[in-house]
Amino acid sequence: MLESQLWQGMRQRDRRSLARLITRASRGLGIETIRRLGPPEKPARVFAITGSGGVGKSTLIGKLIPQFRERGRTVAVLACDPESPLTGGALLGDRFRMGAPLDDGVYIRSLAACSGRQAIADHLDAVIRLCEEFGFDRIIVETVGAGQGDTAVRAWADLVVLLLQPETGDELQWEKAGVLEIADLMVIHKADLPGADRVAQQVRSALEVAGGPVVPVLLVSSRTGQGIPELATALETLPSRSRRGDDRSAFLVDAQQMLIHRLQHPAATELLAKWRSGRIDIQEALRRLLEETSVSAQ
Amino acid sequence: MSHEPIRVVLAKVGLDGHDRGIKVVARALRDAGCHVIYAGLWQTVESVVRTVADEDADWLGLSILSGAHMTLVPQVMEALRQAGLEHVGVMVGGIIPEPDIPKLVNLGVSRVFGPGTPMHEIVEFVKSRRSAAHA
Repeated sequence: MLESQLWQGMRQRDRRSLARLITRASRGLGIETIRRLGPPEKPARVFAITGSGGVGKSTLIGKLIPQFRERGRTVAVLACDPESPLTGGALLGDRFRMGAPLDDGVYIRSLAACSGRQAIADHLDAVIRLCEEFGFDRIIVETVGAGQGDTAVRAWADLVVLLLQPETGDELQWEKAGVLEIADLMVIHKADLPGADRVAQQVRSALEVAGGPVVPVLLVSSRTGQGIPELATALETLPSRSRRGDDRSAFLVDAQQMLIHRLQHPAATELLAKWRSGRIDIQEALRRLLEETSVSAQ
Repeated sequence: MSHEPIRVVLAKVGLDGHDRGIKVVARALRDAGCHVIYAGLWQTVESVVRTVADEDADWLGLSILSGAHMTLVPQVMEALRQAGLEHVGVMVGGIIPEPDIPKLVNLGVSRVFGPGTPMHEIVEFVKSRRSAAHA
């Protein structure tokens, strides 16, 4: 199917078109078209769920979906699992654990992340943007079970949630750089198991010593349902890290696009001609380009 | 390593708890470089078709050891058609009596793999016949 047909399908809210465009984007195809969309009309709130393998990320996401649905939000889940660096193959099993509901307001998609590189799939920003364009209100990104040193997802998420569980290690675990500092919200999962309170205390005191911004620590159990509504409320209400503002590379991409756009302005053509003929130097041309083609001048 | 890995959804429909075979197939396809989406046990016809659509699958592999294949497979094929997913190739594995195989093929199933099928046969079949939409 042609790319233009797929975009037509997107506008008609055809899930197959969304699915195919995501496949293409994850392979690096059609990225330029997605970038040209500019900022979304209705930005989604993007949550990243991270934590070691076996901590219960997929199961917890499965419990969060109905919470968002009850609050009238549509939800897209992007579940990343590792891809073999040797064969390129992947077994994507998160969907099964989420108990994927048959609901038009929910989209669950499994993506493979090249192992050894990062905990999220390639071109995830473009995939997120596609889900926003389709109209999903909440996007949950499940990272590969990494936990330590997994920071790539920060650039694209409004909130990063780190899952821990009882018996995950001694107090020094929390002192390792990168473990606690990436999270906006800490969840002690499997809180029905013994030792959960102790882990919560250790984490709280480690966070206190670190002295950074206040990070909530919640006790949650997918088995008993403890803390699930509270977690959903926190996700809905916590201020988001400004995902399109604080990331330098995202800012640069936007700035570049803005400049390209301005170069199509009639004043830019004149300035270019003047510069080419040597009447003004490049600094002067740039200064005047920014002045004369600003939004108010357009 | 393929730049465009073949996406295969593997699922069991209906009341059938035997998942050893499908897991072996999942592993073989994974090791052959496919992206395998394991949809798991006790799926309904509707949920399988939804998974195929949302995951942009090239192939759907159904494992049926309950004897209900002549009931379930026609339902799956019809639901795929209704969802506009006729380009997705369908394989069936499990305990399928010989006389039923041509009937399933008539319904649009690409291939039926019975017990004792060597893994490389399934892998080669999936790799040699990509579905039309991705060709």
